[in-house]
Amino acid sequence: MDDIEKKVVDLVAEVLVDVNKENIRLDAKIVEDLGAESLDIYDMIALLEDEFGTEISDEEVEKIRTVQDVADFIKAGQKK
Amino acid sequence: MSRRVAITGMGLVTCLATGVDENWKQITNGRSGIGPIQSFDPQRLVTRIAGEIAADFDPSGYIPKKELRRMDRHQQIGMVAACQAVFQAGLNEPPDDPRRCAVIVGSGIGGLTTIHDGFEILREKGPKRMPPMIIPMAVGNLLPGMIAMRFGLKGPNFGVVNACSSGASAIGEAYRIVSMGFADVAVSGGTEAVIGEFAISSFNALRALSTRNEAPEKASRPFDKDRDGFVLAEGAGMVVLESFERAQERGAPILGEIVGYGATCDAYHIVMPDPEGVGAHEAMKLALDDCGLKPEQVQYINAHGTSTDLNDKTETIAIKRLFGKHAHNLSISSTKSMTGHALGAAGAIEAIFTALTLMHGIAPPTINLDCPDPQCDLDYTPNKSVKRDMEYAISNSFAFGGQNVSLLFRRSQ
Repeated sequence: MDDIEKKVVDLVAEVLVDVNKENIRLDAKIVEDLGAESLDIYDMIALLEDEFGTEISDEEVEKIRTVQDVADFIKAGQKK
Repeated sequence: MSRRVAITGMGLVTCLATGVDENWKQITNGRSGIGPIQSFDPQRLVTRIAGEIAADFDPSGYIPKKELRRMDRHQQIGMVAACQAVFQAGLNEPPDDPRRCAVIVGSGIGGLTTIHDGFEILREKGPKRMPPMIIPMAVGNLLPGMIAMRFGLKGPNFGVVNACSSGASAIGEAYRIVSMGFADVAVSGGTEAVIGEFAISSFNALRALSTRNEAPEKASRPFDKDRDGFVLAEGAGMVVLESFERAQERGAPILGEIVGYGATCDAYHIVMPDPEGVGAHEAMKLALDDCGLKPEQVQYINAHGTSTDLNDKTETIAIKRLFGKHAHNLSISSTKSMTGHALGAAGAIEAIFTALTLMHGIAPPTINLDCPDPQCDLDYTPNKSVKRDMEYAISNSFAFGGQNVSLLFRRSQ
């Protein structure tokens, strides 16, 4: 995991505090595997946007399935 | 139809302690919970003292971590008090009759510090950075919703906004709903946690707060001639009210009864009480009329007693107006001398102290009553608790806006 991926995992863990951090792997599905609901996802996005100073559009949020997807969107946003 | 209403659970979080028993110990020992502000740097403020909940307060034993970070402080402390009350009442399991279970909770302002923080984010980072939890943390009816979710209570559910009378109004309405048969159980009370630059500077602008920064424990001194305003505090008080019959049938602890509720408005001034105390007098009278009690049958009043010049004077006038000669036989106290003024929680916290007063036969003191105001000449139980056998007691709450609420309690039989 690179630094961005590690930070993403940390922030996902911050929102989903009741999920064992070992289970927050890059290939984990955020809804199906980690049990997030829509409010959790918006909460996560707000923390990520704040941390990385980037913006994830609602269309992009719709496409997020795994923790890896989140990290990829952050990386893509930073390149813009 | 009018039914008897029992108190079957109580919960408290105040600047003195967490838990009913610990609070009662502190109150009857005359301990002040007021101190220099610790939670932020108050240097810019005129008032730099408050009744803050102890820094080691830990709600995580009552609230799952995930929920905790999505709750404003007023919701966290309110939930802790609600859990204590519900556990004591033995209603931990979802009830068989969820639609008959109400939740009615007062808060004067709601999540003010959340609103303040949200505004800072808006100003510094812009509208796209607003966190999604600002609204649910700010709004005053979310806590009753959260309590309902937690315990599976699906009956009437609402928040009450009534400034310093909020907690008393919530309990009064809950009493009425149960008494009239619209619900059989009601979790009810008040919560407030607004200590911060926003609230204190705003109350300072109204010249409402004590500025006795050099002696915080002496700052809240209701009925004393040197009083100079109220001391802002945070806290929560919750009760479980239940139809007497239901409580008895399931063998619940019966901690006391609410037997009367009176509510009036001065219709006089936005922040000053009617100088004749007419509205306050009538609220107490209505509470007595609710169960046909004579004024002479009351032994104790937990006064609103804020330690402001006007409140303490007019409350005294109102008590004399209703009780006549008997006013001098009453034991009266302002527990705000110890807890400070927790705004929308105050009426609920004091409702619990009033029930405990009857239960234990001990009138808690009004501390810092060193030199009584000549215009305040009743027995305010100065500085030391007094043992007395008591059956009926009133708790008063009066609000900015002129709202007067009196609750009447009877000792458990």
